[in-house]
Amino acid sequence: MEHPYFQVSFRPNVRLVSTVRRFTEEFYQRMLGDHEISEKVALATHELLENAVAYASDDETGVRVELADDQLVVKTWNRTSPERLESLKSAIDEMNSAADADAYYQVMMKKTAYRTDGSGLGLARIRAEAEMAITYEVTTDRVCIQARTVVAPRSKEVAT
Amino acid sequence: MTLDLPKLSGAVMTAEGRLADGSLAVTFAGTADSETRDQLEVITKQVHVEALRLKMPEVIVDFRELEFMNSSCFKIFVSWLAQLRDLSADSQYRIQIRSNPNLLWQRRSLAALSCFAIDLVTIQT
Repeated sequence: MEHPYFQVSFRPNVRLVSTVRRFTEEFYQRMLGDHEISEKVALATHELLENAVAYASDDETGVRVELADDQLVVKTWNRTSPERLESLKSAIDEMNSAADADAYYQVMMKKTAYRTDGSGLGLARIRAEAEMAITYEVTTDRVCIQARTVVAPRSKEVAT
Repeated sequence: MTLDLPKLSGAVMTAEGRLADGSLAVTFAGTADSETRDQLEVITKQVHVEALRLKMPEVIVDFRELEFMNSSCFKIFVSWLAQLRDLSADSQYRIQIRSNPNLLWQRRSLAALSCFAIDLVTIQT
């Protein structure tokens, strides 16, 4: 039980995202006994998985949530188009170059307020509201997005 | 004075509006996600139309029973506030949001919403 994790892969289906979010929250609430961390990781799981489902170009998307050392990491992956890959990389690079997560979130809210396609807020929301750092790895047409946060030692004690 | 706002009774999310004490109040419950996004957009647009038609000074939005809201649905409220901010001052109404402080998304998302339109939104816990 030192490194609790779970991993799910499924045919992209937006209706399953809330189901996975609830499971994630309950799983880490039980493992860590920390309500706030559980809610943060559930929020990140929901937002990342919705993106993965929305932009998946084949019949599988996946999520893995794991506690490794002092970090809780949410990973989602899917295959997608080259255009989507470039746009995702550019969005994450731009976001990470902004020092203040809350200020960037406000900028994105202003920028997307009149947009009609998608929200454009999911990644900024994870960074600002769940206080999680976001990175990506790209292998040919497959993208893996990771959101991570540091877990307090007190939380880890409950898990072991 | 009557309110023209359909009641939403879905399996995933419900929404119901009413007129009370000189305000238009709308209560949401369940989950606001991709499955319910379109319904949420219809409801919020109609709340805005009705608030203007009835010249309401305030709209009360009750989220206390709303378990979760994804970013697509959150953006609907951002767009609503942007639209409200674009109106002349004498046409604007205030929005009071009743929140559940036990839910992280409400504490964080609603604080961000309040910053976005600080002169128009108040959050009640």
